[in-house]
Amino acid sequence: MILLCASIHAASAAEVDPAAEAELPSLEQLKQTGLTRSRFHSTANGPKALPADGKPPEADLKTFQDKIKPLLTQYCYDCHGADAMEGNFQVSSLDPDILKGKDTEWWAEVFSVVTKGEMPPPDDMDMDEADRRVVVDWLSRELEAASIVRRQSGSHSAFRRLTRYEYNYALQDLLGLPWDFAKDLPPEPHSEEGFENSSDLLHVSVSQFETYHRLAREALDKATVSGPRPEPIYWGISMKQAAEREFKQQDQQVAKAKKEHKDNPEKLAEELAKLEKNAKQTFRTPYYQQLSTGRTAQAEWAYYGARYAFAPIKTKAEFPEDYDHVAILPGGQRRNIVVELGNQIPDEGTMRVTVRASRVGKEDKNFPSLQLLFGWQASNEGRALQRVSEADVPITATPDAPQIVQWEFPLSEIYPRNSVRKTSPMGHTPSPSEYIRIANSAASASDIQIDYVCVEAPVYEQWPPKSHQQIFFESENSGDETAYAREIITRFMTRAWRRPPSPAEVDRKLKLFAVMRPQCERFEDAVLEVLATVLSSPQFLYVAQASPHEAAPIDEANAQQNARLATRLALFLWCSLPDDELIEVASSGKLTDPDILSAQVDRMLADPRSERFSEHFVNQWLNLELLGFVSFKGLDPLLKEAMQHEPVALFEEVMANDASILDFLHADYAVVNERLARHYGLKNVYGNEFRRVDLETNVPRGGLLTQSGVLAMNSDFPDSHPLKRAIWLLECILADPPPPPPPAVPQIDLANPEIAKMTLRERMEDHRSQAACKSCHVKIDPWGLAFENFDALGKWRDDIRGKPVDASSELFNGETLEGMEGLKRFLLDNRQDQFVEATVRKLATFGLGRPLGFEDRAEIDTITAQIRQQGDGLRTVVQTIVHSDLFLSE
Amino acid sequence: MHQRATIAKQEKQIMGLNLNKLDRRRFLRGSGFALALPLFGSLLPQNLLADPAVNNPKRLGCFYFPDGVPMPLPEDPSYQEWAWFPHGGGTEFTFTNCMTPLESLKGDLTVFSGFSHPQSRSVHGHNNADQFLTGAYIGGGDKEYKNTISLDQEYVKYVGDKTRVASLVMSTDGGTGTARGTHTISFDRNGRPIPAEHRPKQIFDMLFVKKNNDSARRLALSDSALDEMLADAQSLRKTLSKEDQHSLDEYLDSVRQAELKVDKAKQWLSVPLPTVDREQLNLELTTEHPREYLQTMFELIYLAYKTDTTRVATYQIGRENGVGRSDHLARAIGFNLAHQLSHETKNPNGWKNFGLYCQFLNEEFGRFVGKLKENPEPAGTGCMLDNTLLLMGSASSAFHLSRNYPIILAGGKQMGLKHGQYINNAGMNFQGGPWLGKREPWQDQAKGSDLPLSNLYVTMLQRLGVSAESFADSTGVIEGI
Repeated sequence: MILLCASIHAASAAEVDPAAEAELPSLEQLKQTGLTRSRFHSTANGPKALPADGKPPEADLKTFQDKIKPLLTQYCYDCHGADAMEGNFQVSSLDPDILKGKDTEWWAEVFSVVTKGEMPPPDDMDMDEADRRVVVDWLSRELEAASIVRRQSGSHSAFRRLTRYEYNYALQDLLGLPWDFAKDLPPEPHSEEGFENSSDLLHVSVSQFETYHRLAREALDKATVSGPRPEPIYWGISMKQAAEREFKQQDQQVAKAKKEHKDNPEKLAEELAKLEKNAKQTFRTPYYQQLSTGRTAQAEWAYYGARYAFAPIKTKAEFPEDYDHVAILPGGQRRNIVVELGNQIPDEGTMRVTVRASRVGKEDKNFPSLQLLFGWQASNEGRALQRVSEADVPITATPDAPQIVQWEFPLSEIYPRNSVRKTSPMGHTPSPSEYIRIANSAASASDIQIDYVCVEAPVYEQWPPKSHQQIFFESENSGDETAYAREIITRFMTRAWRRPPSPAEVDRKLKLFAVMRPQCERFEDAVLEVLATVLSSPQFLYVAQASPHEAAPIDEANAQQNARLATRLALFLWCSLPDDELIEVASSGKLTDPDILSAQVDRMLADPRSERFSEHFVNQWLNLELLGFVSFKGLDPLLKEAMQHEPVALFEEVMANDASILDFLHADYAVVNERLARHYGLKNVYGNEFRRVDLETNVPRGGLLTQSGVLAMNSDFPDSHPLKRAIWLLECILADPPPPPPPAVPQIDLANPEIAKMTLRERMEDHRSQAACKSCHVKIDPWGLAFENFDALGKWRDDIRGKPVDASSELFNGETLEGMEGLKRFLLDNRQDQFVEATVRKLATFGLGRPLGFEDRAEIDTITAQIRQQGDGLRTVVQTIVHSDLFLSE
Repeated sequence: MHQRATIAKQEKQIMGLNLNKLDRRRFLRGSGFALALPLFGSLLPQNLLADPAVNNPKRLGCFYFPDGVPMPLPEDPSYQEWAWFPHGGGTEFTFTNCMTPLESLKGDLTVFSGFSHPQSRSVHGHNNADQFLTGAYIGGGDKEYKNTISLDQEYVKYVGDKTRVASLVMSTDGGTGTARGTHTISFDRNGRPIPAEHRPKQIFDMLFVKKNNDSARRLALSDSALDEMLADAQSLRKTLSKEDQHSLDEYLDSVRQAELKVDKAKQWLSVPLPTVDREQLNLELTTEHPREYLQTMFELIYLAYKTDTTRVATYQIGRENGVGRSDHLARAIGFNLAHQLSHETKNPNGWKNFGLYCQFLNEEFGRFVGKLKENPEPAGTGCMLDNTLLLMGSASSAFHLSRNYPIILAGGKQMGLKHGQYINNAGMNFQGGPWLGKREPWQDQAKGSDLPLSNLYVTMLQRLGVSAESFADSTGVIEGI
């Protein structure tokens, strides 16, 4: 609060300053002044609509008669009164009892248009701001009370199954293996608001159920092992070995020249000089270099005959102390060298690749980075390649002190492997050989050299591996199969079902174990069959709800309520199950303690698992799936990847600092990597990792609206698409989706040559001029035209095909938006409440995993008011949602 | 949901009730083999037996050959005799020499031109067998590889549990091959290749010889697991609100349906295997005897159909790009390698030689089609061909060109197919000509516009009784066939 007052004070001081008065306030200043106009600013501390005595609230009809009705008569009845029915709608006939009457939804609509200033129509009538405030305040209180009344009579259930990605993360966390377990599950449908975790849409079919059961069995198989520890095999590959293959060919050329021209010393000298010069050149493709002599040769590779394969060795390879040969990977084009390993790579287990690398030059800042790929080529046409490294590894070392880069990846997860690796002999076609590729992923021309590659597979840190021991832990009971099975199954059920199982539940599983044991050769197999049923149970697959029939003792009921809260929390912030600590806090019944709950939320947001929340929420909130479908010239893979990550990176930055969510509308910084910085014309940003960069005031970026990914996915390459951009803004950012087009709306007739030659903007204007289209498009188009300074790739432009860009547009209320700056100005000045409330709704919808209804409106209002008063911090939003009745009650 | 479960339950009762009471064996004589087979059709109640057509199975067979077909241009002297596609269109068309073996079956088949899968039209023909039955984007080079479910497996979803073996997947080269160099044209619902069998003996054993008990053990495990899961879910259900119970019912229904499927699979274990006389078959054949090998592979499908051991079969006659056993099939007619024939069409007799190979494939395919036509439906009406839909084709036409697939659809008259037609969508506007060593037809700007082949596939699924509205990237159905 103190901070808030200080900044308002600063803003009003600026207004008094005569120098500032001449100029428009900055966008950052508008964030402060806009807040002073928030309706939550004044009413949030007012009396709650719910009387303290717990009696149901009553409708305030007296205020309606005394104050509201006269205002409605003055401003609305001309068009929506007894004698007129503009838009088929009469305010005068609405039942003023919003709490019990039948017209609650209509009143909500009235509230929305009056608050936004869309009604009364700004071009016909000016509404006195004080009058508007009176109407808005009364409607707001009555609607809130109505929402509470509605809520008391029940709401949408959040009982639902896990989504595909939640199921995947749940298995990952449960088994301790970061693999993709869910790829065989069908994709989820999206709710109208774009969310995949909406309880009303998550169905189950028999084939899906069978898939769950199969995936559970396969996942358990991958987590456990049998038999003795497999012997690893090793490779130790020096770039000297690799270079010498190429040098040998050069030597043969020299020998050939010597032989050919032995009688012509002049010609021979000329030829040898040419060959020597060739052997010293540098390339823009990968090449080998002997450092002491400067001798170079281009790195060649071909699949046939497996001629480039290196044989495995018996013992673990070590990096040699010195080296004189390197492979150089030029930067900027994802150049890579192939290190072919033959047909001995195991089917499963971890493969570890270790590389010694450095930059080639010593220039500062400009750090390239490495990626690792795995692939094979069996024949001309049969081949595959996939990236197996996760984050790019920046190469910061200089040649005098190279760094060691190590990757590990699970061989069982690579698909497809070379399917002839066990049937076709080495040297034959199809080739059974497989390879790794080491790639320089730098966005700029910054070269990397490597001198040695160590490979080891399968690597097991311990045997049996940790994932196995988590299930089949050491126990005193291991001599007694039934007792041991009970112990294993109970512990597994507790984690998978997020609560201790009841004795009856365990007994049932033990009965199943007894039936299965004689049919399985090994004890472990029978246990795994039972565990697979634990993972295919609705207790695992569904998010539990309070039981209306529960008649448990208070303590137990409290523990169960806590357990369900823990699951909701984990699904919200980790997209997965609670961990042991959360289960423990919940089973002690203390999770509902506000301080403990806050501490848990902070802990969870600090945990790397919260990256899943950022990624999935932001993708669904902003409908970034659209960007996945975008592909056109000029959109190189590095740029597309960076575009996809930028909104998530900004979200994480805002979250980390508990910065105001208004930063999503505008910020004086951006979170970018080198490729994006170049796209935006920002200097001195090097490397593929994202970081915060302060923006000069003349840079038209900052916030979500100007991110190139958002702009590109709402374009129609090579043209921008103002309509798509407008609809995206209204749907995702303002949660105010335009109505769908009416059924008989005239299409834009591209067969008409007059229309075909128009610019997109002109076509939109033409379309808007038709009466049937106007009423909707006048509320849509202006928003999108404000984006016109950004092209289909999200780059800034001053002209379109030689004509200056016209990014100005007139809003429904006659106000002119001057391009993106004007749009941001308008939103920060007039629509802060709408945006903040929209963002709260989106986060709450995602957090609850169910659609919000009218009955949730009061709660959303309360949350919005609380966070508006505390400065709109993103972390504060999350905490406030979690502590709200909406989230805590069931 | 509820209704479906009830129907399945009735079916279960019918099967359970009658299995021990009826004489399940019925001897058939044909093509020299004595067959004894259990026929589920005959187990149906008498009122259903009143109309024997009710018992007609609906079968699907899909066949793939690589390397495309002869596509001499109209001005080429070989065009008249050796172009693969017929001359004419509609019901007025004549076969070239490539198709003469099918002359007597002209009224039982339809030829299509100008169809292909849109997503892979610019992909090199060598990569495209992978998507012949799937329509997926396969791509070339080092891209990530993804495929989708194939036509036959889509039908298996619907018909797979009606027979002992859900589907028969065969190829001359065997296994899965590699991504983009497939040895199977069948892909499961997750787009993963289903390994194809190439050894006649293994195919015979799989179809007609009792296997080990592992499948019984697995089914028993599934059965107990499902029982427990149902009990578990029912106990959860009791604790839920009405609304949430309703949501959970979907899960319960799924478990019940899974149980029915296991029950059905278990019943197959107790149904006796058909007796097939193997003396007449040489099951040790390899591509060393190419014609006999091909005949045996077709014969095995015929036997599987006739005994109703399966209703779905795929056979990839050859892999793309040569290099493999299937390339030796050309030795049946005195050539060395089949793939080479498609490269040497600019040589004297080049089109003719390539055409002779296609003629050979059509001869063996025609023999198989003819046999289905000669044999009456064992437990139904008409001939076997009338109840069997056969697709024969390739995913390239002119040299490495992934457009204008050569497609023949035969049989299925009792599913409403109208044959004796040439749906000539390409007309005279096709790409072709010999490869002269430089630019290839597949790299040229496309002529004409192909229709999505998946439109034919969804039409086939509908005729097979699947209520499918689309398949892969289909945009509609094909009228008039």
